[in-house]
Amino acid sequence: MESGVALADAERRLKAYVAALWGIDPPLRPLPQDGDPAAMRPRFDDALVRLPAVWPGMDLYRAALAHVGAHRMFSRPWPARGLKPLLILVVSLFEDARVEHLAMRRLPGLRRLWAPFHRTEPSASLMAADLMERMARALFDPAYRDGNAWVDKGQRLFFERPDRWDDPDFSLMLGGTLAGDLGKMRVQINARGHRVEPPYRDDNGGLWLHDTPPEPPRDVDDPLDAVRPDRIEAEQSDRRDGPPRSLPRPAPFAVADAAAMQPVARHPEWDHRIGLHRPDFVRVVECVPERRPMSDAPDDRRLTSRVHALIRHAVVARPERLRRQREGDRLDLDACIAAAVARCQGHAPDMQVYQRVRRRGRDLSALLLLDASQSTNDPAGDGTVLDLERRSADLLAGALDAAGDRFALAGFRSDGREAVQWLPVKRFGDAYDEAARGRLAGLDGRWSTRMGAAIRHAGSLLAGQPTLRRLLLLVTDGEPSDIDCPDPRHLVEDARKAVQELAGRGIDVVCVALGGDPGTHHHIFGRRNVLAVDRVERLPGLLPAIYAKLTG
Amino acid sequence: MALQSYRIEREPYYRPTGDEIALFEAAHADRMPVMLKGPTGCGKTRFIEHMAWRLGRPLVTVACNEDLTASDLVGRHLLETQGTVWQDGPLTLAVRHGALCYLDEIVEARADTTVVIHPLTDERRALPLDKRNELVAAHPDFQLVVAYNPGYQSVAKDLKESTKQRFAALEFGYPAAGIEADIVAHESGIEPALARRVVAVGERSRNLRGRGLEEGASTRMLIHAGRLIARGVAPEAACRMAVVLPLTDDPDLRDALAAAVGACF
Repeated sequence: MESGVALADAERRLKAYVAALWGIDPPLRPLPQDGDPAAMRPRFDDALVRLPAVWPGMDLYRAALAHVGAHRMFSRPWPARGLKPLLILVVSLFEDARVEHLAMRRLPGLRRLWAPFHRTEPSASLMAADLMERMARALFDPAYRDGNAWVDKGQRLFFERPDRWDDPDFSLMLGGTLAGDLGKMRVQINARGHRVEPPYRDDNGGLWLHDTPPEPPRDVDDPLDAVRPDRIEAEQSDRRDGPPRSLPRPAPFAVADAAAMQPVARHPEWDHRIGLHRPDFVRVVECVPERRPMSDAPDDRRLTSRVHALIRHAVVARPERLRRQREGDRLDLDACIAAAVARCQGHAPDMQVYQRVRRRGRDLSALLLLDASQSTNDPAGDGTVLDLERRSADLLAGALDAAGDRFALAGFRSDGREAVQWLPVKRFGDAYDEAARGRLAGLDGRWSTRMGAAIRHAGSLLAGQPTLRRLLLLVTDGEPSDIDCPDPRHLVEDARKAVQELAGRGIDVVCVALGGDPGTHHHIFGRRNVLAVDRVERLPGLLPAIYAKLTG
Repeated sequence: MALQSYRIEREPYYRPTGDEIALFEAAHADRMPVMLKGPTGCGKTRFIEHMAWRLGRPLVTVACNEDLTASDLVGRHLLETQGTVWQDGPLTLAVRHGALCYLDEIVEARADTTVVIHPLTDERRALPLDKRNELVAAHPDFQLVVAYNPGYQSVAKDLKESTKQRFAALEFGYPAAGIEADIVAHESGIEPALARRVVAVGERSRNLRGRGLEEGASTRMLIHAGRLIARGVAPEAACRMAVVLPLTDDPDLRDALAAAVGACF
């Protein structure tokens, strides 16, 4: 156990590995830790791949994922109803071999990955488990010679017909034949306690459709759960897709006083079913967040200085050539020529003949808009998603303020169409001072995400900015939803329309997605305007980099 | 004669992936401005070289950058003992003498620079040289071609609508695996079977696009890997040097990609 690799440490590498190999990205989850880790086998279904939380080495994890990926590419689950456990075991054995050989046709290097795990040797044992393990090796390695009649027969039948490997029914046919033979040999088999060998292979659960699926291991007591935002995403996504199941709690406003909360605008909403705007459908109320002390989370000095340097560089390191200068570091050729011509003609030459390069400011306004809905209270890193949003926004805002880019900062959430809350933290004209930081700290997450209205309101603020480029940077962890919209498509289409309207006014909208369905985000913002952050914990470092890249 | 050195003598290798040659020939017959869009290293520049050779036209190439000024394109006065002389810029040269003018990475150029091509790209087909008080009518053979990579996620780098709408466009992508293997085998001189493995490496890296990598390996990268292999480097080491290390600095992705490269050979 001590000398193993932990799934939590290797997860990102493994996800990238399986994505590179097969172009799929299933969420990886740890298996519940009960019993001997050496006896644990991977398990997969349509949605998840479960792996032991600790395993002896990276290669075992990689071999397991390459194998599961091969199933996902080449297998299709069979109905298990009415089949004998023995038949299921033998068919699975052939299916494992079949998909591995198909995978090795495409990626021959996988042989080197899997081969070291097939270590069993010929023996006289007639135990079913031993026979199966030797069959697994015989079907993997055509050069292996076992000597047992049953194993040899399976190997011969399998390698006789490589042209049939593309057909899943081939496994069913061979498995049926060989299971029959095994039955006649009266070999005792403990189907329920059977352990698949070699260890990288999954427990075959994903290959068979059971009428009542075997209870998936519940791992509520898994301590890692508390720090895994994406698992909540995958398993409770229904909460965000539709209207929230539980109505918002009647909690007190997080505002200083009632006067701070006033309606500021009404915006239309797009109804995709009738193809028309519903005029003045949504009311935006502005409520200035209550000032709170900024959290005393330790300042990461290195990150702060790196972000400042990055933004300063992006903001000021844009060279501009100034021509016809009285002094400068290079001659301005055109000015020299004009001066020489003037002198030849007997005129007094203009002696401003130098050019120099100046760093210039930018013609850009940016609005950073944070999702402050209930779902941002989900745990992430050391705190919540909203904590990370806040910390990232604070870092970016501090750097932008120091560098002098025009920007504003606000949050949004909604509680039905009459109460879309706009939470201004810093307006375009204001400084990013202690008061603004206090308001940022006062943002709290509640209610829903009526994205279209927030985008339109942000657009109306950006439209008034006198710069050439105007950018709305929206940070969200989910998809549009609100309590009064049972049709999830409605708000998605509305948000999409809002983005298009802003684009039509020359305002770029870019979404930084901390979760939610990528397809929905692509639909709303356009594929190239969505930047998915795979690890929410990395947001504080990434957000400024995203900003610098977008505007650089 | 003025453009003799811009002529392409030997056929540049180009493997068509669709009907792009016929489409370009049709556009050229009408001297229609053409825009080539596609990710880096997918063969845009090679295509235009091939077409210039095929059509027998000289090719004037300008790599655009953000400090490129209008006079860098159009030309400027130079000083000689007798007075000033006008020196045509590359664009004027192509316009006067009838060449394909290829502006590579056009989005990098400043917006005020790109507008000089506007009068050339509509019915006027003329280039005004305000410094000389001259209007250069385009040679009948002149055609303007621009290229850019739409994958840049920068709001500051996009073509203006008024520029975009003057062009017909051809879209380029990485070729299908079989064709790409042909290209890699031809350009690097390795065996086709090995080239297919190198292309499989490319596919692995492209699977990571949007999952941590901004862009997968380009065909050009794969050719580099092929050339290293042709020089006797072991395939895995060649792919590490030519593909994995240049693509990413992220240690996790590097590890994953290197392991995936191992699966390909």
